[in-house]
Amino acid sequence: MAKKNYTRWLFVLPAMVIVIALFIYPICSSVLYSFTNKNLIKATYKFIGFKNYVEVFKDSGFWLSFFHSLKWTVLSLAGQIVVGFTAAMALKRIEVGKGVYKTLLIIPWAFPSIVIAFSWKWILNGVYGFLPNILLKLGICETTPQFLTSGTMAFITLVMINIWFGAPMIMVNVLSALETVPRDQYEAAQIDGARPWQSFYYVTVPHIKMVVGLLVVLRTVWIFNNFDLIYLITGGGPAGSTQTIPLYAYNMGWSTKLIGRSSAVTVLLFIFLMIICGIYFAVINKWEREESK
Amino acid sequence: MKKVKTGSVISHTYLILLTFVSVFPLVWILISSVKGKGELTGNPTAFWPRTWTLDYYIHVIKDLNFFVNIKNSVIISLVTTLIAITVASLAAYGIVRFFKKLGSAMSKVLVTTYIFPPILLAIPYSVIMGKMGLINTRVGLIIVYLSFSVPYAVWLLTGFFRTVPVEIEEAARIDGANKMQTFVQVVLPLVAPGVVATAIYTFINTWNEFLYALILMNNTSKMTVAVALRSLDGAEILDWGDMMAASALVVLPSVIFFCLIQNKIAGGMADGAVKS
Repeated sequence: MAKKNYTRWLFVLPAMVIVIALFIYPICSSVLYSFTNKNLIKATYKFIGFKNYVEVFKDSGFWLSFFHSLKWTVLSLAGQIVVGFTAAMALKRIEVGKGVYKTLLIIPWAFPSIVIAFSWKWILNGVYGFLPNILLKLGICETTPQFLTSGTMAFITLVMINIWFGAPMIMVNVLSALETVPRDQYEAAQIDGARPWQSFYYVTVPHIKMVVGLLVVLRTVWIFNNFDLIYLITGGGPAGSTQTIPLYAYNMGWSTKLIGRSSAVTVLLFIFLMIICGIYFAVINKWEREESK
Repeated sequence: MKKVKTGSVISHTYLILLTFVSVFPLVWILISSVKGKGELTGNPTAFWPRTWTLDYYIHVIKDLNFFVNIKNSVIISLVTTLIAITVASLAAYGIVRFFKKLGSAMSKVLVTTYIFPPILLAIPYSVIMGKMGLINTRVGLIIVYLSFSVPYAVWLLTGFFRTVPVEIEEAARIDGANKMQTFVQVVLPLVAPGVVATAIYTFINTWNEFLYALILMNNTSKMTVAVALRSLDGAEILDWGDMMAASALVVLPSVIFFCLIQNKIAGGMADGAVKS
Protein backbone atom coordinates (compact mmCIF):
# COMPACT_ATOMS: atom_id res chain seq x y z
CA MET A 1 0.00 0.00 0.00
CA ALA A 2 2.83 2.38 0.87
CA LYS A 3 4.56 1.57 -2.40
CA LYS A 4 1.40 2.26 -4.33
CA ASN A 5 1.17 5.76 -2.96
CA TYR A 6 4.79 6.37 -3.79
CA THR A 7 4.95 5.40 -7.48
CA ARG A 8 1.82 7.31 -8.43
CA TRP A 9 3.72 10.54 -7.82
CA LEU A 10 6.17 9.60 -10.57
CA PHE A 11 3.38 10.06 -13.10
CA VAL A 12 2.61 13.63 -12.15
CA LEU A 13 6.11 14.70 -11.08
CA PRO A 14 7.48 15.89 -14.47
CA ALA A 15 4.41 18.03 -15.10
CA MET A 16 4.64 19.47 -11.59
CA VAL A 17 8.28 20.38 -12.10
CA ILE A 18 7.38 22.17 -15.34
CA VAL A 19 4.53 24.06 -13.75
CA ILE A 20 6.70 25.17 -10.84
CA ALA A 21 9.68 26.12 -13.00
CA LEU A 22 7.68 27.88 -15.70
CA PHE A 23 4.93 29.50 -13.64
CA ILE A 24 5.70 29.76 -9.93
CA TYR A 25 9.27 30.97 -10.37
CA PRO A 26 8.45 33.58 -13.06
CA ILE A 27 5.46 35.00 -11.18
CA CYS A 28 7.63 35.38 -8.09
CA SER A 29 10.33 37.19 -10.03
CA SER A 30 7.75 39.42 -11.72
CA VAL A 31 6.34 40.43 -8.36
CA LEU A 32 9.90 41.05 -7.16
CA TYR A 33 10.82 43.15 -10.22
CA SER A 34 7.68 45.20 -9.81
CA PHE A 35 9.15 46.67 -6.61
CA THR A 36 12.48 47.57 -8.25
CA ASN A 37 13.77 49.98 -10.86
CA LYS A 38 15.01 47.10 -13.02
CA ASN A 39 15.88 48.12 -16.56
CA LEU A 40 16.17 45.88 -19.62
CA ILE A 41 19.68 47.05 -20.47
CA LYS A 42 21.16 47.67 -17.02
CA ALA A 43 22.46 44.89 -14.81
CA THR A 44 21.97 46.46 -11.38
CA TYR A 45 18.73 47.47 -9.78
CA LYS A 46 17.45 48.45 -6.36
CA PHE A 47 14.19 48.30 -4.43
CA ILE A 48 11.98 51.33 -4.75
CA GLY A 49 8.89 50.17 -2.87
CA PHE A 50 5.51 50.88 -4.42
CA LYS A 51 6.83 53.64 -6.69
CA ASN A 52 6.15 51.66 -9.90
CA TYR A 53 2.57 51.04 -8.92
CA VAL A 54 2.07 54.69 -8.01
CA GLU A 55 3.55 55.78 -11.35
CA VAL A 56 1.34 53.34 -13.24
CA PHE A 57 -1.81 54.50 -11.47
CA LYS A 58 -0.89 58.11 -12.18
CA ASP A 59 -0.41 57.46 -15.91
CA SER A 60 -3.51 58.32 -17.92
CA GLY A 61 -2.18 56.03 -20.69
CA PHE A 62 -2.60 53.06 -18.36
CA TRP A 63 -6.23 53.87 -17.62
CA LEU A 64 -6.96 54.46 -21.29
CA SER A 65 -5.41 51.09 -22.14
CA PHE A 66 -7.41 49.45 -19.38
CA PHE A 67 -10.59 50.97 -20.79
CA HIS A 68 -9.64 49.73 -24.28
CA SER A 69 -9.02 46.27 -22.83
CA LEU A 70 -12.45 46.16 -21.23
CA LYS A 71 -14.14 47.32 -24.42
CA TRP A 72 -12.11 44.89 -26.53
CA THR A 73 -12.95 41.96 -24.24
CA VAL A 74 -16.66 42.62 -23.79
CA LEU A 75 -17.33 43.30 -27.48
CA SER A 76 -15.20 40.42 -28.78
CA LEU A 77 -16.59 37.95 -26.25
CA ALA A 78 -20.20 38.92 -26.92
CA GLY A 79 -19.64 38.66 -30.67
CA GLN A 80 -17.87 35.32 -30.45
CA ILE A 81 -20.58 33.85 -28.25
CA VAL A 82 -23.44 35.09 -30.42
CA VAL A 83 -21.86 33.90 -33.67
CA GLY A 84 -20.51 30.66 -32.17
CA PHE A 85 -23.79 29.81 -30.49
CA THR A 86 -26.04 30.56 -33.45
CA ALA A 87 -23.71 28.61 -35.75
CA ALA A 88 -23.84 25.62 -33.39
CA MET A 89 -27.64 25.78 -33.24
CA ALA A 90 -27.82 25.97 -37.03
CA LEU A 91 -25.49 22.98 -37.36
CA LYS A 92 -27.57 21.01 -34.88
CA ARG A 93 -30.65 21.71 -36.93
CA ILE A 94 -29.52 20.60 -40.40
CA GLU A 95 -29.17 17.05 -41.65
CA VAL A 96 -27.01 17.25 -44.76
CA GLY A 97 -23.59 18.82 -45.11
CA LYS A 98 -22.88 19.10 -41.41
CA GLY A 99 -19.36 17.72 -41.67
CA VAL A 100 -18.45 19.95 -44.60
CA TYR A 101 -19.70 23.10 -42.90
CA LYS A 102 -17.95 22.22 -39.68
CA THR A 103 -14.62 21.58 -41.37
CA LEU A 104 -14.76 24.84 -43.30
CA LEU A 105 -16.08 26.89 -40.38
CA ILE A 106 -13.24 25.98 -38.03
CA ILE A 107 -10.52 27.10 -40.45
CA PRO A 108 -9.99 30.50 -38.74
CA TRP A 109 -9.15 28.70 -35.49
CA ALA A 110 -6.05 27.20 -37.10
CA PHE A 111 -4.71 30.52 -38.36
CA PRO A 112 -1.44 31.76 -36.86
CA SER A 113 -1.92 35.34 -35.65
CA ILE A 114 0.64 36.66 -38.09
CA VAL A 115 -1.31 35.21 -41.01
CA ILE A 116 -4.58 36.57 -39.61
CA ALA A 117 -2.87 39.95 -39.59
CA PHE A 118 -1.41 39.67 -43.08
CA SER A 119 -4.51 38.33 -44.74
CA TRP A 120 -6.88 40.90 -43.21
CA LYS A 121 -4.46 43.78 -43.73
CA TRP A 122 -4.32 42.77 -47.36
CA ILE A 123 -8.08 42.29 -47.77
CA LEU A 124 -8.75 45.63 -46.01
CA ASN A 125 -5.84 47.54 -47.53
CA GLY A 126 -6.90 51.14 -48.15
CA VAL A 127 -5.57 51.21 -51.72
CA TYR A 128 -5.47 47.70 -53.15
CA GLY A 129 -7.67 45.83 -50.69
CA PHE A 130 -10.45 43.61 -51.99
CA LEU A 131 -13.15 44.73 -49.57
CA PRO A 132 -12.72 48.54 -49.83
CA ASN A 133 -12.60 48.31 -53.61
CA ILE A 134 -15.60 46.05 -53.93
CA LEU A 135 -17.62 48.34 -51.62
CA LEU A 136 -16.60 51.25 -53.81
CA LYS A 137 -17.49 49.40 -57.00
CA LEU A 138 -20.90 48.35 -55.72
CA GLY A 139 -21.58 51.94 -54.76
CA ILE A 140 -21.99 51.11 -51.06
CA CYS A 141 -19.24 53.59 -50.20
CA GLU A 142 -18.45 56.80 -52.01
CA THR A 143 -14.76 56.86 -51.20
CA THR A 144 -12.48 53.90 -50.48
CA PRO A 145 -13.26 53.04 -46.83
CA GLN A 146 -10.29 53.08 -44.46
CA PHE A 147 -10.72 50.18 -42.06
CA LEU A 148 -7.48 50.35 -40.15
CA THR A 149 -6.29 53.92 -40.25
CA SER A 150 -8.99 55.79 -38.33
CA GLY A 151 -9.31 55.25 -34.59
CA THR A 152 -12.87 54.07 -34.01
CA MET A 153 -13.01 52.16 -37.27
CA ALA A 154 -9.72 50.40 -36.49
CA PHE A 155 -11.07 49.30 -33.12
CA ILE A 156 -14.29 47.92 -34.61
CA THR A 157 -12.34 46.17 -37.35
CA LEU A 158 -10.06 44.53 -34.78
CA VAL A 159 -13.05 43.29 -32.81
CA MET A 160 -14.60 41.89 -36.00
CA ILE A 161 -11.39 40.06 -36.85
CA ASN A 162 -11.25 38.68 -33.33
CA ILE A 163 -14.83 37.43 -33.64
CA TRP A 164 -13.92 35.82 -36.96
CA PHE A 165 -11.01 34.09 -35.23
CA GLY A 166 -12.68 33.08 -31.95
CA ALA A 167 -16.23 32.11 -32.88
CA PRO A 168 -15.27 28.68 -34.32
CA MET A 169 -13.95 27.50 -30.97
CA ILE A 170 -17.16 28.48 -29.21
CA MET A 171 -19.18 26.88 -32.00
CA VAL A 172 -17.39 23.54 -31.86
CA ASN A 173 -17.57 23.28 -28.08
CA VAL A 174 -21.19 24.37 -27.84
CA LEU A 175 -22.10 21.90 -30.59
CA SER A 176 -20.45 19.01 -28.79
CA ALA A 177 -22.23 20.07 -25.61
CA LEU A 178 -25.56 20.24 -27.45
CA GLU A 179 -25.03 16.72 -28.67
CA THR A 180 -24.85 15.42 -25.11
CA VAL A 181 -28.43 16.55 -24.44
CA PRO A 182 -30.56 13.39 -24.45
CA ARG A 183 -33.07 13.45 -27.30
CA ASP A 184 -35.88 11.95 -25.20
CA GLN A 185 -35.87 15.00 -22.92
CA TYR A 186 -36.79 17.17 -25.89
CA GLU A 187 -39.51 14.72 -26.83
CA ALA A 188 -40.81 14.74 -23.27
CA ALA A 189 -40.85 18.54 -23.29
CA GLN A 190 -42.69 18.52 -26.59
CA ILE A 191 -45.31 16.12 -25.27
CA ASP A 192 -45.76 18.42 -22.28
CA GLY A 193 -46.52 21.19 -24.76
CA ALA A 194 -43.35 23.22 -24.29
CA ARG A 195 -42.65 25.99 -26.80
CA PRO A 196 -39.25 25.98 -28.54
CA TRP A 197 -37.81 28.65 -26.24
CA GLN A 198 -39.12 26.77 -23.21
CA SER A 199 -37.46 23.55 -24.20
CA PHE A 200 -34.30 25.53 -24.92
CA TYR A 201 -34.39 27.12 -21.47
CA TYR A 202 -35.46 24.08 -19.46
CA VAL A 203 -33.77 21.28 -21.37
CA THR A 204 -30.83 22.67 -23.33
CA VAL A 205 -29.48 25.30 -20.95
CA PRO A 206 -29.07 23.09 -17.86
CA HIS A 207 -27.15 20.53 -19.93
CA ILE A 208 -24.72 22.86 -21.57
CA LYS A 209 -24.24 25.62 -19.04
CA MET A 210 -21.20 24.02 -17.40
CA VAL A 211 -19.31 23.70 -20.66
CA VAL A 212 -20.37 27.12 -21.87
CA GLY A 213 -19.60 28.68 -18.49
CA LEU A 214 -16.08 27.34 -18.48
CA LEU A 215 -15.62 28.34 -22.08
CA VAL A 216 -16.66 31.88 -21.25
CA VAL A 217 -14.13 32.04 -18.41
CA LEU A 218 -11.28 30.87 -20.60
CA ARG A 219 -12.32 33.03 -23.54
CA THR A 220 -12.53 36.13 -21.34
CA VAL A 221 -9.01 35.56 -20.13
CA TRP A 222 -7.62 34.77 -23.57
CA ILE A 223 -9.19 37.81 -25.15
CA PHE A 224 -8.07 40.06 -22.33
CA ASN A 225 -4.52 38.70 -22.60
CA ASN A 226 -4.42 38.84 -26.38
CA PHE A 227 -1.32 40.56 -27.60
CA ASP A 228 -0.60 39.17 -31.06
CA LEU A 229 -3.65 40.30 -32.98
CA ILE A 230 -3.58 43.93 -31.96
CA TYR A 231 0.19 44.19 -32.05
CA LEU A 232 0.37 42.73 -35.53
CA ILE A 233 -2.62 44.45 -37.11
CA THR A 234 -2.53 48.00 -35.73
CA GLY A 235 0.39 47.96 -33.28
CA GLY A 236 -1.93 49.77 -30.85
CA GLY A 237 -2.45 52.66 -33.27
CA PRO A 238 -3.56 54.86 -34.85
CA ALA A 239 -2.44 57.22 -32.08
CA GLY A 240 -2.91 54.67 -29.29
CA SER A 241 -6.59 54.17 -30.06
CA THR A 242 -6.30 50.36 -30.00
CA GLN A 243 -3.68 50.02 -27.26
CA THR A 244 -4.72 47.49 -24.62
CA ILE A 245 -2.98 46.51 -21.37
CA PRO A 246 -0.77 43.76 -22.83
CA LEU A 247 0.51 46.19 -25.48
CA TYR A 248 0.98 48.90 -22.87
CA ALA A 249 3.05 46.48 -20.78
CA TYR A 250 5.03 45.34 -23.81
CA ASN A 251 5.91 48.89 -24.83
CA MET A 252 6.87 49.69 -21.26
CA GLY A 253 9.19 46.68 -21.14
CA TRP A 254 10.69 46.55 -24.60
CA SER A 255 10.46 50.10 -25.94
CA THR A 256 11.04 52.13 -22.79
CA LYS A 257 13.09 49.29 -21.22
CA LEU A 258 11.41 49.82 -17.85
CA ILE A 259 11.15 46.18 -16.81
CA GLY A 260 10.26 47.05 -13.23
CA ARG A 261 7.31 49.20 -14.16
CA SER A 262 6.22 46.82 -16.89
CA SER A 263 6.19 44.04 -14.29
CA ALA A 264 3.96 46.15 -12.09
CA VAL A 265 1.51 46.45 -14.98
CA THR A 266 1.48 42.71 -15.67
CA VAL A 267 1.08 41.88 -11.99
CA LEU A 268 -1.93 44.21 -11.84
CA LEU A 269 -3.31 42.56 -14.97
CA PHE A 270 -2.91 39.16 -13.36
CA ILE A 271 -4.60 40.22 -10.14
CA PHE A 272 -7.50 41.65 -12.14
CA LEU A 273 -7.91 38.40 -14.09
CA MET A 274 -7.78 36.36 -10.88
CA ILE A 275 -10.62 38.40 -9.45
CA ILE A 276 -12.68 37.97 -12.63
CA CYS A 277 -12.03 34.22 -12.62
CA GLY A 278 -12.82 34.01 -8.93
CA ILE A 279 -16.25 35.47 -9.59
CA TYR A 280 -16.86 33.17 -12.55
CA PHE A 281 -15.79 30.09 -10.65
CA ALA A 282 -17.98 31.01 -7.70
CA VAL A 283 -20.93 31.02 -10.11
CA ILE A 284 -19.92 27.75 -11.72
CA ASN A 285 -19.44 26.08 -8.35
CA LYS A 286 -22.91 27.22 -7.37
CA TRP A 287 -24.30 25.57 -10.51
CA GLU A 288 -22.39 22.44 -9.68
CA ARG A 289 -23.86 22.29 -6.19
CA GLU A 290 -27.35 22.87 -7.54
CA GLU A 291 -26.82 20.11 -10.07
CA SER A 292 -25.70 17.56 -7.50
CA LYS A 293 -28.71 18.30 -5.30
CA MET B 1 -43.58 19.51 -41.11
CA LYS B 2 -43.37 22.74 -43.07
CA LYS B 3 -41.94 24.57 -40.06
CA VAL B 4 -39.01 22.18 -39.85
CA LYS B 5 -38.21 22.88 -43.48
CA THR B 6 -38.08 26.67 -43.16
CA GLY B 7 -35.86 26.21 -40.12
CA SER B 8 -33.36 24.21 -42.05
CA VAL B 9 -33.45 26.60 -45.00
CA ILE B 10 -32.62 29.48 -42.69
CA SER B 11 -29.89 27.37 -41.06
CA HIS B 12 -28.34 26.53 -44.41
CA THR B 13 -28.42 30.14 -45.58
CA TYR B 14 -26.81 31.30 -42.36
CA LEU B 15 -24.15 28.60 -42.49
CA ILE B 16 -23.31 29.30 -46.12
CA LEU B 17 -22.84 32.97 -45.26
CA LEU B 18 -20.62 32.14 -42.27
CA THR B 19 -18.63 29.62 -44.29
CA PHE B 20 -17.95 32.23 -46.93
CA VAL B 21 -16.60 34.68 -44.34
CA SER B 22 -14.57 31.97 -42.59
CA VAL B 23 -12.92 30.68 -45.72
CA PHE B 24 -12.43 33.91 -47.65
CA PRO B 25 -9.08 34.98 -46.12
CA LEU B 26 -7.52 31.59 -46.86
CA VAL B 27 -8.86 31.59 -50.41
CA TRP B 28 -7.69 35.15 -50.92
CA ILE B 29 -4.18 34.34 -49.65
CA LEU B 30 -3.91 31.43 -52.08
CA ILE B 31 -5.29 33.35 -55.04
CA SER B 32 -3.18 36.43 -54.36
CA SER B 33 -0.06 34.29 -54.11
CA VAL B 34 -0.38 32.95 -57.67
CA LYS B 35 -1.63 35.97 -59.58
CA GLY B 36 0.62 37.28 -62.37
CA LYS B 37 2.77 40.40 -62.11
CA GLY B 38 0.81 43.61 -61.67
CA GLU B 39 -2.56 41.93 -61.23
CA LEU B 40 -2.71 42.45 -57.47
CA THR B 41 -2.46 46.20 -57.72
CA GLY B 42 -3.89 46.54 -61.23
CA ASN B 43 -7.29 45.05 -60.54
CA PRO B 44 -7.96 44.63 -56.80
CA THR B 45 -11.48 43.22 -57.18
CA ALA B 46 -10.75 40.56 -59.84
CA PHE B 47 -11.20 37.13 -58.31
CA TRP B 48 -9.63 34.69 -60.73
CA PRO B 49 -5.98 35.19 -61.82
CA ARG B 50 -5.52 36.12 -65.50
CA THR B 51 -2.08 34.57 -65.55
CA TRP B 52 -0.72 32.13 -63.01
CA THR B 53 2.74 32.31 -61.54
CA LEU B 54 4.84 30.73 -58.82
CA ASP B 55 7.32 33.62 -58.90
CA TYR B 56 6.33 34.85 -55.45
CA TYR B 57 6.96 31.44 -53.91
CA ILE B 58 10.30 31.16 -55.66
CA HIS B 59 11.28 34.63 -54.45
CA VAL B 60 10.31 33.88 -50.88
CA ILE B 61 12.06 30.53 -50.71
CA LYS B 62 15.18 31.35 -52.73
CA ASP B 63 15.96 34.98 -52.04
CA LEU B 64 14.56 35.29 -48.54
CA ASN B 65 15.82 31.93 -47.34
CA PHE B 66 12.43 31.14 -45.83
CA PHE B 67 13.28 27.44 -45.66
CA VAL B 68 15.66 28.14 -42.78
CA ASN B 69 12.74 29.54 -40.77
CA ILE B 70 10.49 26.65 -41.75
CA LYS B 71 13.18 24.25 -40.57
CA ASN B 72 13.52 26.12 -37.24
CA SER B 73 9.78 25.97 -36.71
CA VAL B 74 9.53 22.29 -37.58
CA ILE B 75 12.32 21.34 -35.18
CA ILE B 76 11.07 23.51 -32.34
CA SER B 77 7.46 22.41 -32.72
CA LEU B 78 8.33 18.72 -33.04
CA VAL B 79 10.60 18.61 -30.00
CA THR B 80 8.15 20.63 -27.91
CA THR B 81 5.32 18.31 -28.92
CA LEU B 82 7.29 15.17 -28.10
CA ILE B 83 8.29 16.38 -24.64
CA ALA B 84 4.89 17.89 -23.87
CA ILE B 85 2.93 14.81 -24.90
CA THR B 86 5.16 12.46 -22.90
CA VAL B 87 4.96 14.56 -19.76
CA ALA B 88 1.28 15.34 -20.19
CA SER B 89 0.21 11.74 -20.88
CA LEU B 90 1.83 10.58 -17.67
CA ALA B 91 0.30 13.44 -15.71
CA ALA B 92 -3.18 13.12 -17.22
CA TYR B 93 -3.25 9.39 -16.58
CA GLY B 94 -1.92 9.89 -13.06
CA ILE B 95 -4.59 12.49 -12.31
CA VAL B 96 -7.38 10.31 -13.67
CA ARG B 97 -6.31 7.03 -12.13
CA PHE B 98 -4.27 7.54 -8.98
CA PHE B 99 -5.43 10.77 -7.44
CA LYS B 100 -9.07 10.40 -6.56
CA LYS B 101 -9.10 13.37 -4.18
CA LEU B 102 -6.03 15.39 -5.15
CA GLY B 103 -6.81 14.99 -8.86
CA SER B 104 -9.41 17.69 -8.96
CA ALA B 105 -7.12 20.08 -7.08
CA MET B 106 -4.37 19.32 -9.59
CA SER B 107 -6.71 20.03 -12.48
CA LYS B 108 -7.61 23.33 -10.84
CA VAL B 109 -3.94 24.29 -10.59
CA LEU B 110 -3.65 23.55 -14.30
CA VAL B 111 -6.66 25.68 -15.09
CA THR B 112 -5.01 28.51 -13.17
CA THR B 113 -2.05 28.34 -15.53
CA TYR B 114 -4.39 29.20 -18.41
CA ILE B 115 -5.12 32.57 -16.86
CA PHE B 116 -1.48 33.61 -16.63
CA PRO B 117 -0.99 36.51 -19.03
CA PRO B 118 1.73 35.51 -21.51
CA ILE B 119 2.98 39.08 -21.32
CA LEU B 120 3.54 38.61 -17.57
CA LEU B 121 5.63 35.51 -18.19
CA ALA B 122 7.46 37.10 -21.12
CA ILE B 123 9.46 39.45 -18.91
CA PRO B 124 10.95 36.88 -16.51
CA TYR B 125 11.43 34.42 -19.38
CA SER B 126 13.50 36.88 -21.32
CA VAL B 127 15.54 37.78 -18.24
CA ILE B 128 16.17 34.14 -17.31
CA MET B 129 16.97 33.07 -20.86
CA GLY B 130 19.33 36.01 -21.15
CA LYS B 131 21.15 34.94 -17.99
CA MET B 132 21.40 31.34 -19.19
CA GLY B 133 22.60 32.39 -22.62
CA LEU B 134 19.56 30.81 -24.28
CA ILE B 135 18.38 33.84 -26.26
CA ASN B 136 18.35 33.00 -29.96
CA THR B 137 18.55 29.28 -29.28
CA ARG B 138 16.03 26.59 -30.06
CA VAL B 139 16.49 25.07 -26.60
CA GLY B 140 15.42 28.31 -24.94
CA LEU B 141 12.26 28.61 -26.99
CA ILE B 142 11.37 24.94 -26.52
CA ILE B 143 11.61 25.30 -22.73
CA VAL B 144 9.35 28.35 -22.82
CA TYR B 145 6.87 26.59 -25.11
CA LEU B 146 6.40 23.82 -22.56
CA SER B 147 4.70 26.44 -20.39
CA PHE B 148 1.57 26.42 -22.49
CA SER B 149 1.81 23.12 -24.32
CA VAL B 150 1.97 20.91 -21.22
CA PRO B 151 -1.11 22.32 -19.42
CA TYR B 152 -3.15 22.27 -22.65
CA ALA B 153 -2.15 18.72 -23.42
CA VAL B 154 -2.95 17.57 -19.87
CA TRP B 155 -6.37 19.20 -20.18
CA LEU B 156 -7.19 17.43 -23.44
CA LEU B 157 -5.66 14.11 -22.46
CA THR B 158 -7.50 13.97 -19.13
CA GLY B 159 -10.70 13.81 -21.13
CA PHE B 160 -9.41 10.94 -23.27
CA PHE B 161 -7.95 8.90 -20.41
CA ARG B 162 -11.18 9.14 -18.50
CA THR B 163 -12.88 7.06 -21.20
CA VAL B 164 -10.70 4.02 -20.44
CA PRO B 165 -12.60 1.55 -18.24
CA VAL B 166 -10.65 0.69 -15.11
CA GLU B 167 -11.60 -3.02 -15.45
CA ILE B 168 -9.30 -3.44 -18.44
CA GLU B 169 -6.39 -2.21 -16.40
CA GLU B 170 -7.26 -4.41 -13.47
CA ALA B 171 -7.10 -7.44 -15.76
CA ALA B 172 -3.60 -6.42 -16.82
CA ARG B 173 -2.56 -5.88 -13.23
CA ILE B 174 -3.74 -9.34 -12.27
CA ASP B 175 -1.58 -10.69 -15.08
CA GLY B 176 1.37 -9.19 -13.23
CA ALA B 177 1.95 -5.93 -15.12
CA ASN B 178 3.14 -3.00 -13.01
CA LYS B 179 1.72 0.51 -13.24
CA MET B 180 4.05 1.72 -15.95
CA GLN B 181 3.60 -1.44 -18.05
CA THR B 182 -0.15 -1.20 -17.74
CA PHE B 183 0.02 2.41 -18.83
CA VAL B 184 2.27 1.88 -21.85
CA GLN B 185 0.96 -1.48 -23.06
CA VAL B 186 -2.72 -1.34 -22.23
CA VAL B 187 -3.93 2.22 -21.73
CA LEU B 188 -1.91 4.16 -24.30
CA PRO B 189 -2.99 2.03 -27.28
CA LEU B 190 -6.62 2.50 -26.26
CA VAL B 191 -6.37 6.29 -26.30
CA ALA B 192 -3.92 6.48 -29.20
CA PRO B 193 -6.28 8.48 -31.46
CA GLY B 194 -6.78 11.04 -28.69
CA VAL B 195 -3.06 11.24 -28.04
CA VAL B 196 -2.35 11.78 -31.73
CA ALA B 197 -4.98 14.51 -31.94
CA THR B 198 -3.53 16.22 -28.88
CA ALA B 199 -0.04 15.97 -30.34
CA ILE B 200 -1.16 17.58 -33.58
CA TYR B 201 -2.98 20.31 -31.68
CA THR B 202 0.16 20.98 -29.63
CA PHE B 203 2.23 21.10 -32.80
CA ILE B 204 -0.10 23.64 -34.40
CA ASN B 205 -0.13 25.87 -31.31
CA THR B 206 3.66 25.90 -31.14
CA TRP B 207 3.95 26.46 -34.89
CA ASN B 208 1.58 29.44 -34.61
CA GLU B 209 3.05 30.99 -31.44
CA PHE B 210 4.22 34.56 -31.79
CA LEU B 211 4.94 36.55 -28.60
CA TYR B 212 7.66 34.39 -27.02
CA ALA B 213 9.35 33.87 -30.37
CA LEU B 214 9.31 37.63 -30.86
CA ILE B 215 11.10 38.39 -27.61
CA LEU B 216 13.51 35.43 -27.62
CA MET B 217 14.55 35.17 -31.28
CA ASN B 218 15.93 38.32 -32.86
CA ASN B 219 18.39 36.82 -35.29
CA THR B 220 16.77 36.20 -38.69
CA SER B 221 18.41 32.81 -39.16
CA LYS B 222 17.07 31.63 -35.78
CA MET B 223 13.53 32.91 -36.18
CA THR B 224 10.47 30.72 -36.39
CA VAL B 225 8.09 31.23 -39.30
CA ALA B 226 5.69 33.46 -37.38
CA VAL B 227 8.35 35.98 -36.44
CA ALA B 228 10.18 35.72 -39.77
CA LEU B 229 6.91 36.52 -41.52
CA ARG B 230 6.40 39.54 -39.33
CA SER B 231 9.86 40.85 -40.25
CA LEU B 232 8.70 40.87 -43.88
CA ASP B 233 5.99 43.38 -43.02
CA GLY B 234 6.91 46.78 -44.32
CA ALA B 235 10.12 45.61 -45.97
CA GLU B 236 10.75 47.64 -49.12
CA ILE B 237 11.79 44.73 -51.32
CA LEU B 238 8.53 42.92 -50.83
CA ASP B 239 5.16 43.27 -52.35
CA TRP B 240 1.88 41.75 -51.23
CA GLY B 241 2.36 38.76 -53.51
CA ASP B 242 5.47 37.74 -51.59
CA MET B 243 3.73 38.20 -48.28
CA MET B 244 0.78 36.08 -49.42
CA ALA B 245 3.05 33.32 -50.72
CA ALA B 246 4.90 33.22 -47.41
CA SER B 247 1.61 33.30 -45.52
CA ALA B 248 0.34 30.36 -47.55
CA LEU B 249 3.42 28.33 -46.63
CA VAL B 250 2.82 29.03 -42.94
CA VAL B 251 -0.94 28.65 -42.75
CA LEU B 252 -1.55 25.61 -44.92
CA PRO B 253 0.08 23.00 -42.64
CA SER B 254 -1.88 24.37 -39.67
CA VAL B 255 -5.20 24.35 -41.49
CA ILE B 256 -4.79 20.90 -43.05
CA PHE B 257 -3.74 19.21 -39.82
CA PHE B 258 -6.37 21.02 -37.85
CA CYS B 259 -9.19 19.90 -40.12
CA LEU B 260 -8.06 16.30 -39.62
CA ILE B 261 -8.32 16.40 -35.83
CA GLN B 262 -11.11 18.90 -35.19
CA ASN B 263 -13.68 16.35 -34.04
CA LYS B 264 -11.40 14.87 -31.41
CA ILE B 265 -10.33 18.22 -30.02
CA ALA B 266 -13.83 19.52 -29.41
CA GLY B 267 -14.88 16.46 -27.43
CA GLY B 268 -11.59 16.37 -25.56
CA MET B 269 -11.87 19.99 -24.47
CA ALA B 270 -15.35 19.56 -23.11
CA ASP B 271 -14.56 16.31 -21.31
CA GLY B 272 -11.26 17.47 -19.88
CA ALA B 273 -12.70 20.72 -18.66
CA VAL B 274 -16.02 19.87 -17.18
CA LYS B 275 -15.74 16.57 -15.42
CA SER B 276 -12.54 17.41 -13.58
